[in-house]
Amino acid sequence: MYRIRLHGRGGQGIKTAGRMLGSAFFLSGWEVQDATVYGAERRGAPVYAYVRADHGPIHERGVIRDPDLVAVVDESLVGIPSAGVLQGLAGRGLLFILSTTPAALWQQRLNLPDRVLTLAPPAGAPPIGTLCVGAAARLTGVIDEAALVAAIRQELAGMPAAVVERNLDWARRAYAELAPHAGRVVEGGSGTAVGYAAPDWVDLPLEPAETAAPAIHAALTSLRVPTGLWRTLRPVIDYDRCNRCWWVCSEYCPDGAITVAADGTPRIDYEHCKGCLICVAQCPPHAISAIPETEATNP
Amino acid sequence: MSRQLLTGNAAAAWGARLARADYIPAFPITPQTEIIETLSAWCDTGEMAARLVTLESEHAMLTAAAAAAATGVRVFTATSSQGLLYAMEMIYTVAGWRAPFVLVNVSRGLASPITLEPDHTDVLAARDAGFLQIHCATCQEVVDSVLMAYRLAEDARVRLPAIVNLDGYYLSFTREPVELPAPEVADRFLPPFEPHELAFRASQPLSQAVVVLGGSTYSYFRYESHLAAQAALAVYDEIAADYAALTGRRHDVVETWRLEDAEYAFVMMGSFATKAKAAVERLREAGVAIGLLRLRLLRPFPAAAIRRALAGKRAVAVIDQNLSMGRGGVLHGELAAALYGQPDAPPILASFIGGLGGRDLPSEEFYAIAEVLREAARSGVTPPQRLLYTEHELRELRKLQAIALAERHDPRLGGRGP
Amino acid sequence: MNETAFKRLKDLPSQRLLGTGTPLCAGCGGLEALHQIYDILGGRSVFVNAAGCMTLLAVYPFTPFRGAWLYTAMAGAPAGAQGVRDALDLLLAKGRLPPAEDLTVVALTGDGVAYGMGLSATSSAIERGLDFLYIVYDNEGYGNTGQQYSEATPLGAKTATSLRGFAGRKKDLFAIWTAHRPAYAATVIGAEPLDLARKLEKALSLKGPRLLLALAPCPTGWDFDPKDTVEVGRLAVRTGVWPLKEYVDGKVTHTRLPHPRLPVEDYLRTQGRFRHLFEPVRDEALLARIQAQVDDYWAGVT
Repeated sequence: MYRIRLHGRGGQGIKTAGRMLGSAFFLSGWEVQDATVYGAERRGAPVYAYVRADHGPIHERGVIRDPDLVAVVDESLVGIPSAGVLQGLAGRGLLFILSTTPAALWQQRLNLPDRVLTLAPPAGAPPIGTLCVGAAARLTGVIDEAALVAAIRQELAGMPAAVVERNLDWARRAYAELAPHAGRVVEGGSGTAVGYAAPDWVDLPLEPAETAAPAIHAALTSLRVPTGLWRTLRPVIDYDRCNRCWWVCSEYCPDGAITVAADGTPRIDYEHCKGCLICVAQCPPHAISAIPETEATNP
Repeated sequence: MSRQLLTGNAAAAWGARLARADYIPAFPITPQTEIIETLSAWCDTGEMAARLVTLESEHAMLTAAAAAAATGVRVFTATSSQGLLYAMEMIYTVAGWRAPFVLVNVSRGLASPITLEPDHTDVLAARDAGFLQIHCATCQEVVDSVLMAYRLAEDARVRLPAIVNLDGYYLSFTREPVELPAPEVADRFLPPFEPHELAFRASQPLSQAVVVLGGSTYSYFRYESHLAAQAALAVYDEIAADYAALTGRRHDVVETWRLEDAEYAFVMMGSFATKAKAAVERLREAGVAIGLLRLRLLRPFPAAAIRRALAGKRAVAVIDQNLSMGRGGVLHGELAAALYGQPDAPPILASFIGGLGGRDLPSEEFYAIAEVLREAARSGVTPPQRLLYTEHELRELRKLQAIALAERHDPRLGGRGP
Repeated sequence: MNETAFKRLKDLPSQRLLGTGTPLCAGCGGLEALHQIYDILGGRSVFVNAAGCMTLLAVYPFTPFRGAWLYTAMAGAPAGAQGVRDALDLLLAKGRLPPAEDLTVVALTGDGVAYGMGLSATSSAIERGLDFLYIVYDNEGYGNTGQQYSEATPLGAKTATSLRGFAGRKKDLFAIWTAHRPAYAATVIGAEPLDLARKLEKALSLKGPRLLLALAPCPTGWDFDPKDTVEVGRLAVRTGVWPLKEYVDGKVTHTRLPHPRLPVEDYLRTQGRFRHLFEPVRDEALLARIQAQVDDYWAGVT
């Protein structure tokens, strides 16, 4: 059975990508199971889809714990533990990342020798799930281009022709680029009921209601959630041009992520700024600009 | 302490008054309305230092009740039947807040067809919600149970809301002698509500009833409520002992009646169980060794007490005053689960459905059930489930049907004929 | 409005009191209005919430609040506010709560609740004279489930359940509230923070049922770039689509009179949910109807 996960963010076409890959297998004669997993459905929040494909009926369900392939649309997710990109990759399985960073560097960084492949998104292409679909199809070596194309057409039925063609172009390019690695992803087995790791079951103790009610006895704990990781573009204040009119940028920032110093100087809290860029759009002297997160250096 | 004649509804109101409830969100529904009317009058005269607010629905009523409890006041509320169902989203929701309060449910059959008279299908719909449930058989038990329910619900080891159930008409509108505890006795039994850390105050940040993501976190909170409900069994025994010491009235998790030396048993819940007591007396006179087991606590489920009480019996009849469509009696299923695989479990556990929508249970039916049990014990064959319903009733129903179907059957009116 | 503490934008609070790190969408117009409100209201408050996007403000164990929060269910936030307010009043009256421990009671819901499922509870809470502030973030659809049309969806808007554009008309919740003669009702928007601050200031000076109805431009549900949230909101005001007004002492006053009032097209064009009005062909008839609705409204404003 093939077990494949696709990781990205809300808005990057992950759900559709999962279905494209599922349909591509299905049209190639495989039994398939595909699904999308989202927590809170939010643009920018981590999301993943998974696809299982086998020669007979599939009885497994839910999260893929032991993937043969993990394909990542948004490379910034790799370093976010809660996104779960690396989950189950310790032993085997291939990691594919849309990234301009060379695969060798990722292999070293993640300690996954020979198990990371990358593809730089073609010029004009955003980080989008379709690229991963083309790549994944080729990496399995069991989906031909006609099935890939048919699957994409099927999943994008109803979309404007230009959108369909664009996606087909991206998928074909990724499919072609990965040709040297065709068949790198191999089917995994189904484990064993002998010598398995037993669950460490525990008897829950009865605890006082103050502890055991879903109540938070503290203020502002949300500050521990680094929503800055959602960001793909970073607003940067040019303090030489900043007028200190904090009541614009700080007031309009939905998240309250622009704090105001005593002298009126606004400061962006990059740990929490989600990158909506309202401040960039509203700054009267145009003192705030947006730069790609990958080019940013943390202060 | 003097005895006086009180309806079950009045007894429920007295329970709230003696508990010194602060807040009473209300909504009228038959046959519960007398409770809130009584409380409203006491609030108006100042006999009760409480505020009664009529909400626009039971859903809102339960929300306000739990929100007030979560703010740290003692709350009483009451409903029945369709009202309980209308509130059902909040019944399940607020149980998880761990904000204790008492809800009196006056049982009434559920639509459709709509009716006013009682059975327990309404309150059993709340069985799995996280509310504790105490079921009363007399008006005396109603006032006692309301006070006991507050002690149980507010106990730091429990902190769950509680339902006290009484049957519509047979208790709600029926007067019986009731001995009210003196206010100082009630106060000694039930100290003021102490919300501890779970109450809204300006000086302490607190987010309550927060959403969780993920099955593991969810499982923890749900199971903790279950553990708290289970812990309520032992806590209840302490409370019952305290109450008995103060009032001389002991109400255990189950009531048994001539059961110890019995070979056969009736199992029931609610006010009709007193009819079973009378039947037991007559059957004993006729030489049948039969007794009664009545469940007072339904949640937490007193499985151990049930097993003890029924150990070694030859045959048991569970008479369910409720109906789970496609399954049968709810208590029968619960009893079977408690007894299955236990040493000394009765080999015959027969199921009878009776008293739906207030349909009477005449003593002859108890006698006949006893005969069925004896035959089952002899043959070793469990009888099929039986609805207590007679030829006579069916004939009477046919007369009503004839009228309802008159035009369909009358060829002169274009009908098909009989 | 006289004697306001908010004469100029500079007078707005410069401290952000609502915590960062919430899971709401980047560019959320509702969160923008909420933090502006919370900066003024502060932590001596209890927010009673109903099912909607903002249910996710507090996800165990993370809360952005300094004060209190209670999630109820979908229909019941005003009833929950009733229970909390009544309990606080009882505790105060019985001397069991020092006055310093009292809290401002706030109901917080989206338009799905405010215009629909929670309307019965709202109407009754107003009728009972409940002393509470009701904040609505109106993003004109059931946003938390993927933007299906709600009773607040405007004519022509594409939603997940009105793919060809919503055929109905946005319900007038402000009029429904004022028909109950509440203590206060106002429409606001995060794009006009000074107007919002003055209205909140007035609301907090009064007792009884008070409404702040905030239009919440929604990048996700309305299909526009998150950076445009403020611009979209501003256009809603300048085209007259979202009249800024308040009701106090039985009288409605408009706090902004858009002059010149821009054509509604300027607003509609900013959002993907109205794209079908412009391409592949302009829907002149529907555009004219939407413009006429707005014109009719302002013709009645003296």
